[in-house]
Amino acid sequence: MASGGNDDVGFKHQSLMNCSSSEMNPLCDKVDGMSMSSSICMYNKPWNSSDPFFGSGWDPIASLSQSESLVGSSVVSHGEFANSHYPLPMENQGIFGTSHFSQYQSNPRFVELVPKLPGFGSGNFSEMVSPMTLPQSSQVANIQGFPSYSLNHDGGIERASTNCTQSREDRQISDGVVGAASNGKCRKRVPESSQNADVERQKDPSGESCDVPKRQDAKKLKTKQESGANSRGKQVAKQVKDGSQTGEGAPKENYIHVRARRGQATNSHSLAERVRREKISERMRFLQELVPGCNKITGKAVMLDEIINYVQSLQRQVEFLSMKLATVNPELNIDLERILSKDILYSRGGSAAVLGIGPAINSSCPFSSGIFPGTIPGIPSTNPQFPPLPPQTVLDNELRNILQMGFDSSPGMDSLGPNGGLKSGL
Amino acid sequence: MDLQNLNPSSLKSRFTARFLRALTEINAPKTISSSSPREIFQRYRRIKVAADKSMAYSVRSRRIWSRATLWRLRTRSRSRRLVSFGRRASVKTRTTASHGKENKEHHGAVLGVQAEELRELVPGGEAMDLCNLLDETAHYIKCLTTQVQVMRTIANLYSIE
Repeated sequence: MASGGNDDVGFKHQSLMNCSSSEMNPLCDKVDGMSMSSSICMYNKPWNSSDPFFGSGWDPIASLSQSESLVGSSVVSHGEFANSHYPLPMENQGIFGTSHFSQYQSNPRFVELVPKLPGFGSGNFSEMVSPMTLPQSSQVANIQGFPSYSLNHDGGIERASTNCTQSREDRQISDGVVGAASNGKCRKRVPESSQNADVERQKDPSGESCDVPKRQDAKKLKTKQESGANSRGKQVAKQVKDGSQTGEGAPKENYIHVRARRGQATNSHSLAERVRREKISERMRFLQELVPGCNKITGKAVMLDEIINYVQSLQRQVEFLSMKLATVNPELNIDLERILSKDILYSRGGSAAVLGIGPAINSSCPFSSGIFPGTIPGIPSTNPQFPPLPPQTVLDNELRNILQMGFDSSPGMDSLGPNGGLKSGL
Repeated sequence: MDLQNLNPSSLKSRFTARFLRALTEINAPKTISSSSPREIFQRYRRIKVAADKSMAYSVRSRRIWSRATLWRLRTRSRSRRLVSFGRRASVKTRTTASHGKENKEHHGAVLGVQAEELRELVPGGEAMDLCNLLDETAHYIKCLTTQVQVMRTIANLYSIE
């Protein structure tokens, strides 16, 4: 199960790599890479708690997308990986054109770029990432000393804004949806940049797999860079304390340090709260792209209402479809279902074709596969037709695969229906 | 995009295989269409449970909502045999209560009403803080769309016959 969607992820990842390399901006390369890595750390935290692979997996991802623009691009990387699952449900709806759901179908291109929380494809990530970039992970570990911190905060406003503008440009180069999401994030930060707006670090003792040396390097850099502001001083003390804690803690623990903004309370509670809020708004943004028709909605309350409506409608659809299946089903044939399983999986654009040759499939199945000696009388089309059909050759392989798959995996098929001849052990 | 479906262990494939298997088991005893509403209703319920169960099994309890769904289904089946008195969601939420609500009081009040509604919708959502709840919601939405899409395909293909 962990390897699920591996190939899909690989697909998207390659495209991601191509995009990122072509759009690399040499100016903000290092800076963005650092902020990228730090943001990767941020993302690492919550999802690795559920999947221990993640920590090792994320470093390579960070290194791979290091050339990409900034913090927002981490979202891109997530999105690319996670995509593999999303285009399918989204794109299929247009085919059947069912009722109100067609309106829910946003541009599949948008869906592809949906920034996806890595937790969704957690198994996929570990599989995909580990073979690819183990050497890179070590590089990343060394590089990720959060020097972005120094870069961001040295010059104060100008640096941060420069960072953001560069990142904004880079984001715009990359795809539009993600760019929009990242831009929103960047714009949100730019006004706050005057207050040392580097919120990439969050403190989360839930345990993550950022490298300890990386963190320690970051702390050293930070302590060197600290000057002046009270918030900074407090942050240093806080980080040193955290650092010592993390040093003693499990090596997999991920401490992301939050810098207090100028003019804001440096209370640890409010810092943690701010971190929480950032995470929540990040997820809200992600959900916003997931739920169709929510691009213009600003505000958590309205967004949540939309999400609730969407989930309710999906659940109602499931109920409706199960009712429909209950009424439609009785004549169903087993071999038909086996065929259909493959068709269902493949049926994004090909459903029309599938439907067109449905009867043909029924007729060809018993003869091409030879597995079903008899046919259920419920399906009249199967019996009388003996001549081989033109699409038979194409279907044969599919049918055999499906049947093998089906029979291998279905022990409950031993006695099915009225046809005693149907056996699963073929 | 079709190529992406080829992965035999994607969520969609897993769910489809399981669901079809369940469907055949449900439909197996009845070869003749039974038009009595009661039987149809019974079949509807079984199919719905099968759909939820196959989706939850396809997710393999990697998610809180899938674990909660499986728990709920098991508890329900158990409680049906013994005349249940108080099978409540409280039993289910004990398993997920570890997340705690340490941060909820800070900003939970802002979105309290909708968060509560969302908690009711997403299985297992009662004991999650908002952050994880949103996580679970996103994954749940993804799985629901997969489920809807597969079931719609099946229904369409069946109705062709």
